[in-house]
Amino acid sequence: MLSVHNRPPKIQAIAKQEFREGVRVNVSVLEALKPLRKSALLGIIGIVGIVVGLKINAAYSTHLKPVQPIEFSHRIHAGENQIECLYCHSSADRSPSAGVPSVAKCVGCHERIATVRDSAEIAKLNAYWQAQEPIPWIKVHDVPDFVHFTHKRHVLAGLECQQCHGPVETMDRIERVADLTMPWCTDCHTLNQTDNGLDCYTCHK
Amino acid sequence: MSVLDTIRKYREAGYYKEFDYHWGMTVDLDRCTGCEACVVACQAENNLPIVGESSFAQRREIKWMRIERYWEGEYPNAKLNFIPMFCQQCDEAPCETACPVFATYHNQDGLNTQIYNRCIGTRTCAVYCPYEVRYFNWFTYTWDEPLERQLNPDVSVREKGVMEKCTFCIQRIRQAKDLAKDDDRRKVRDGEVTPACAQSCPTEALVFGDLNDPESRVSKMANDPRGYQVLEEQNTSPSVVYLQKVHGDEEAI
Repeated sequence: MLSVHNRPPKIQAIAKQEFREGVRVNVSVLEALKPLRKSALLGIIGIVGIVVGLKINAAYSTHLKPVQPIEFSHRIHAGENQIECLYCHSSADRSPSAGVPSVAKCVGCHERIATVRDSAEIAKLNAYWQAQEPIPWIKVHDVPDFVHFTHKRHVLAGLECQQCHGPVETMDRIERVADLTMPWCTDCHTLNQTDNGLDCYTCHK
Repeated sequence: MSVLDTIRKYREAGYYKEFDYHWGMTVDLDRCTGCEACVVACQAENNLPIVGESSFAQRREIKWMRIERYWEGEYPNAKLNFIPMFCQQCDEAPCETACPVFATYHNQDGLNTQIYNRCIGTRTCAVYCPYEVRYFNWFTYTWDEPLERQLNPDVSVREKGVMEKCTFCIQRIRQAKDLAKDDDRRKVRDGEVTPACAQSCPTEALVFGDLNDPESRVSKMANDPRGYQVLEEQNTSPSVVYLQKVHGDEEAI
């Protein structure tokens, strides 16, 4: 409800005068809201803009689940065929970087698998193999350059790959699940009481 | 009381209950020939930019390690002293009290650290530092092709508006700790960490190690009676011990 004081000054003055004179006059609520129409309109436009912007952002921010040069499915490899993560990402337990398998490793298996040899995606793989070029995979899990992250320490500490990378074995196209922000890192370091885990120079370089 | 005892006196009041390490260095001025190999090694190891002629003229050069020259006496009997000057990793560091955003702080290894992505570039720490060893990035410096390929991936490349300084090659310390963990060792052995400057020194004037460990080479060197600390009267309690140069007394000869 509009109180006397919230009304626009002109109406307020009239109302005060009427109050003093003891006259009771009906002041329409809609009439009182009239000067607010402009700001209300701007507010609605703003909200619509935010909603549309978020939609557009979601459509274009494909870094969480980018379209890769080859439709490689982790679900088929790690899920159905039960290939160990470390078979392809072989340096995860001995290097800061987990490593992406070479084209030779992909071809090494695939030239022997008759059931998928003629599929379109394997044809793409063979094209890279013939050209002797690496596959330009798009990096999904990327930390900023000022962060020192080592896979080795985390794998040797007994962390499951899925703890950070999500249920990769169910993904047809690789998707980033964790946000990889600093609180996300430090939460885990706090919880597990990591040795000097909260010292800035443990992770920053 | 030796210099090392002076250092340990300040350790008791420290920021942390327990220090695993206390990284320190000794500089034997008698051995230093002023060849500046350490300066070059530091530049290569830590991605230091080359600021160019005009910036150099405005004293905006970036060198985490520099050789200062001090002349003694007049021409025929002039004597020259070289003093390598780099961050002294003070226990009671004046720069740490200055930072408004906690970008520089003292960590549990007794290192005075600088977190680049946190730094907002107030340059207060550089003003507070009595050793003048903090350097400011006035511009975002770039490396020409193919020089950017020699950048060290373990050290971030700083950009405009960031203060930087010697870290005692913390990336090498981190690496050594990593390898020690692989061997199920709690602590790094003496001699496993060598910063780029100490590694490149042809006369072994620079010795790096853990001052907490009384058996380490650096602790033994620090107990030398020639030992002193630069600007001791400032009570900054540096982790670097300089061993005085001994000039031959020509008249005695």
